[in-house]
Amino acid sequence: MIVVAVHTPSRLGRWLVSGPPLAYLIVFFALPSLIMVLASFRTPGEFGGLAPLIEEGKLDLNLESYARFFSESVYAQIFLKSFGYALLTTLFCITLAYPLASLIARSSRRYRDLLLLLVILPFWSNFLIRIYAWMILLGPNAALARTVNRVLAWFGHDPVPLLFSAFAVLVCLVYVHLPFMVLPLYANLEKHDQALLDAAQDLGANAWQRFWRITFPLSLPGVYAGAALVFIPAFGIFAIPDILGGPEDSLIGNVIKQQFLETRDWPFGSVLSIVLTVVALAFAGLAAWVARGNLRTPSSARGSRA
Amino acid sequence: MNRLFALLASLVFATPALAKDEFHLYNWNNYIAPETIKRFEDFCKCEVVQTYYSDNEELLAKLAAGAKGYDMLVPTSNAVEALIKGSQLKPIDKSQLSNLKNINAIYLNTPFDPGNKYSVPYAMSTTIIGYNDQKIKALGLPTDTWAVIFDPKYLEKVKGRVTVLDSANELFAAALKYLGYSANDVDPKHWDEAAALIKKAKSYWAAFNASSYIKELTVGNIWLVHGYSNDIFQANLDAKAAGRPFQILQGMPKEGAVLAVDNMVIHKDAPRPDLALKFMNFMLEGKNSAELTNLIGSGNPNMEAVKYIKPEILKNPAIFPDKAVEAKLEQLKDLTGAQRRLRNRLWTEIKAGR
Repeated sequence: MIVVAVHTPSRLGRWLVSGPPLAYLIVFFALPSLIMVLASFRTPGEFGGLAPLIEEGKLDLNLESYARFFSESVYAQIFLKSFGYALLTTLFCITLAYPLASLIARSSRRYRDLLLLLVILPFWSNFLIRIYAWMILLGPNAALARTVNRVLAWFGHDPVPLLFSAFAVLVCLVYVHLPFMVLPLYANLEKHDQALLDAAQDLGANAWQRFWRITFPLSLPGVYAGAALVFIPAFGIFAIPDILGGPEDSLIGNVIKQQFLETRDWPFGSVLSIVLTVVALAFAGLAAWVARGNLRTPSSARGSRA
Repeated sequence: MNRLFALLASLVFATPALAKDEFHLYNWNNYIAPETIKRFEDFCKCEVVQTYYSDNEELLAKLAAGAKGYDMLVPTSNAVEALIKGSQLKPIDKSQLSNLKNINAIYLNTPFDPGNKYSVPYAMSTTIIGYNDQKIKALGLPTDTWAVIFDPKYLEKVKGRVTVLDSANELFAAALKYLGYSANDVDPKHWDEAAALIKKAKSYWAAFNASSYIKELTVGNIWLVHGYSNDIFQANLDAKAAGRPFQILQGMPKEGAVLAVDNMVIHKDAPRPDLALKFMNFMLEGKNSAELTNLIGSGNPNMEAVKYIKPEILKNPAIFPDKAVEAKLEQLKDLTGAQRRLRNRLWTEIKAGR
């Protein structure tokens, strides 16, 4: 039955196959998002939660939380800072993941699976436990901090703390998100046709030219996919700055968390979450748009030269 | 295969009649001695199922979102106030609490729950100064004043070795106390002063931290904290167990500090309010109450518990303060929605680093 459906994709068959995941997305992404959008227009309850939607026969919806967001520059400032951290994380991830992914893609089949396994190995232990492990690695009595500070002392610099710093937050953000960059890059690089590089070499291209004019443009879809997978979660994260950050490293995820906990202001928390979602979607959209544009570049470049 | 399905079905549809009676306690982590649970289970012929929260806000958020199935909660007074006002609690039938007389009268009939209609005190803690005795003594820093947390004159000697609680309410309370105001002062001008004080001191602190400062004190990375008395007590036990050459001691600031009284309350949708009442009366027995103090160094409002508490804990002035200090302790009141929003804006500005 299923084989038949695949060969002659009837409308019903397609719906049967794509229906459940679609329903899953609607129920677990769209509905909660809609609830959040509704909450952003409501009034916070005096003792937590939300005030009744209908108060004395009138629908209580307002723009107060949005007005608050736009009247205080501090929130935009924190958004900008979080954006900066997420962007840096993405750039470092690309720089580190690219050589690794191409190494794996070019290694023999015997080692490839083992190397991939090593990339996803960290997922076997809990995310929080791995962050707490970084607390030990970055602590002032650990070898890393002692070495760094010994080197700094040679240059007459005061010792610097590694733990509870922007450095710690960034290191851990890169560490946690690196596999999400390696995997799509690998999936892309692995499909590259060696014949293209051979042809380029025959035509006199050196190693750098072969990389920059052939491998890199072809790998861009993988780069963009990885960038979206890294940037979006890094943008909204709260656990890493909470645990490893210093007094300056509060990011937008932390501010959102505060609205739902200490401040008990769900509408304002919803507004911040919506802005976060919109910025993240805009970034993902941009990545997709650039990726489509660049997919055409190699062919058009070839066309112009011909 | 059929047998497997039968097994699964029996797990899913297990009838309450077959299951042992369960008492659901939603509690702070490590906030009841294991032997106390064991004895209560024998006494009530039921099973104690514990789940944990890490702060009052987490508990309030979860209940506000409609969480059900808990019989008993152990929130701090200001959260009890919010829960009462939000109609989340069930009144207590005090005729069933024969041991209520054990509680020191000064902890009963408080402004947040007049007549103890909903709540009974469980245990207490204070928010004070914790320090590494070796390091702080060597630097000649005082440990009986909030100045050591807020005044750059002292802080520059311990730059990067200090943490403060990642809680706007607790940190503002300490700053307000240092400035000579009440911890419950709600004058926005005084809040601005407190925020300015915090901003000036901030660059000397290693972090706002409420989760790992116990460990950091224990290993010697952090020398001075604004923290909970129970946590500092725990850090010292851990340091002792690890054979560290230093002790982690508690310092009670002369300006006064926040006192947190945690209370047993019954949730309005409690499946087993009868077991909750049994548990309340059980925990009001001196011996059971004392076991918690002996385990975590919590303060104890139970007069009958005193004879079971270890002498070294009874002697500790940060856990059992004398009358003069007691008079300077304040319980935090719940803020109004508008006050919470103002405080959060100040807090966000503090943390954004302006």
